[in-house]
Amino acid sequence: MVKDGDYVAIFNSIHRVMEAERLLKDKHLKILLIPAPRALAADCGLALRYAEDVRSDVEAALAEAGLLPRDLYRKSGEAFEKIGEKV
Amino acid sequence: MNSLDVRGMACPLPVVSVKRALEAAPGELRVLLDDGAPRENVKRFAQGRGYQVQEEPVEGGFACTISGSPKREAAAAERAGANVMLFGTDRMGDGPEELGRLLMKNFIMTLVELQEVPDRMLFVNSGVLLTVAGSEVLEALEALGNRGVEVLSCGLCLDFFKKKEQLAAGGVTNMLTIAESLLQARSVVRL
Repeated sequence: MVKDGDYVAIFNSIHRVMEAERLLKDKHLKILLIPAPRALAADCGLALRYAEDVRSDVEAALAEAGLLPRDLYRKSGEAFEKIGEKV
Repeated sequence: MNSLDVRGMACPLPVVSVKRALEAAPGELRVLLDDGAPRENVKRFAQGRGYQVQEEPVEGGFACTISGSPKREAAAAERAGANVMLFGTDRMGDGPEELGRLLMKNFIMTLVELQEVPDRMLFVNSGVLLTVAGSEVLEALEALGNRGVEVLSCGLCLDFFKKKEQLAAGGVTNMLTIAESLLQARSVVRL
């Protein structure tokens, strides 16, 4: 479900990830709520996936709404690179 | 040698057709297919099951000869019958609708990550809403189809929801096939 170069955002709670999904869908941004990859710990087991082309829009919308993810990763080959401590 | 032409078919139909042909008539199978995803998916599927695969370019695509016999586990599983999942709803469990839909979506996407996948996924009643345009699990269903999972939706149900033209994953089936699949299955997981 996650291709090379995709971003995966992990949130603190199911409510935050659902709220983030709703917000981004309302803005017609191409994101997908996915099961959190096994390699990434997520309390709620869910994550948001998005591609590079919408990254700045997604992250700006999340920041504006106070819905920053707990962690952000980028898929690189078989691994996930952590992007900073927070977006 | 049996032969099959899956050129022009959209994914995951090439894999599903090859799987059916191998199950119906074991032995050598020559498949004509398009280059790109269909060729890669069929090759991965056959090799994953333990078959040998030889490819050669032909006019309008590739010819892929599948020979040998499946791995012992795959052969035993084929003899024992299919693992079937029956989706009678687009939600998982009782409770808030939003949570139920989210859980179902999460469940289907999680199947993609597993080593063992069902042989067949049957969608009936509001379960067919998962296989039509706009569903968020289409990408997952395509990935499962490419691993040989047969995705079938109840035609009557699609008709009821006026979604017949919007089917976007797998094929259409009827109650006869659904009933046979359930009765002949090795295991049925009902959701």
